[in-house]
Amino acid sequence: MNMDDGDMNTALMVDGNAVAGQLMDVFGRDMTMAVARCAGCAREAEMGALMAFTHSPGVVLRCPACQAAIARIVETPSAIYIEARGATFLRLPR
Amino acid sequence: MAQPVLEWQAGTVTEIRPETRQTKSFTLALPKWMAHRAGMHYDVRLTAPDGYQTERSYSVASAPERVGVVELTVERIEDGEVSPYLHDVVVTGDQIEVRGPIGGYFVWEVALGGPLLLIGGGSGVVPLMAMLRHRAAQHATVPVRILYSTRTPDDVIYRQELDSLAAGDRGFEAFFTFTRLAPPGWTGYRRRIDAAMLGEVIKPFGTRARVYVCGPTLLVEAVASALVPMGLPIEQIRTERFGPTGV
Repeated sequence: MNMDDGDMNTALMVDGNAVAGQLMDVFGRDMTMAVARCAGCAREAEMGALMAFTHSPGVVLRCPACQAAIARIVETPSAIYIEARGATFLRLPR
Repeated sequence: MAQPVLEWQAGTVTEIRPETRQTKSFTLALPKWMAHRAGMHYDVRLTAPDGYQTERSYSVASAPERVGVVELTVERIEDGEVSPYLHDVVVTGDQIEVRGPIGGYFVWEVALGGPLLLIGGGSGVVPLMAMLRHRAAQHATVPVRILYSTRTPDDVIYRQELDSLAAGDRGFEAFFTFTRLAPPGWTGYRRRIDAAMLGEVIKPFGTRARVYVCGPTLLVEAVASALVPMGLPIEQIRTERFGPTGV
């Protein structure tokens, strides 16, 4: 990752672990050890290890290898939207 | 593994301890306490009279061996929504709405073994302290080193406890680096964490080290990108970035 490009997003980035509470609201369990496979580069990573951007009106989770958007979560007063086209699958440990 | 759904609960503040100018530790007694794993966090939720709610996550500083309570060490962020309230308004006996423990990714427990290298920037030391307290409570002999970066010596959280842990335990060593102001006569590090510093601190552990890095995002990025070329398997590196706060 280029650290010298003045990209504010890099400084604002946190880990998927930081949105563990919100993921728990959505899925009803701890998702940080669930594995997501990136549809772009096939890298598998724990959701806790994804790059998380939380300063937009929703949460964007990106692949730590290729930075493609794996999932977006947006909450409105009446519903929660989850768009996860960037994930081939999520694997939840039993 | 079946997991109970965590509910919000009202914790009672039983102790508030100033740590540094910018940080305080809050001990909360929880009616529905659950043992956490060192490194996990709690979400804190504030509700305004008009119903507006805001949440922040704070790492648990206490060891899971302290039953019935959690200690959260909170840095006061000047333009924050939650931390100024906790610092300036909350007093002992108040109730605070919390949910946890959360986050099974950035955790260490004695059974995971070591050797363990903990790297913290600023208040990023908090979850690492939970790991050290857990290790001490278990009388574990896993070799551990901590490399802790702050602006000045006054910004070091848990300084006395780190020094006394290190004094009584040959398996634990603490290294400090001060990025702005070092005390007179200081012979230790006085710069941001870089590859040379990491190389020195990790040397006795080599590529067997399990590494936990927590701090401002740019510090974590710098550390993680310096560790990978040293040949550390990526599964042995766990990171927790908490955003743009500078160190």
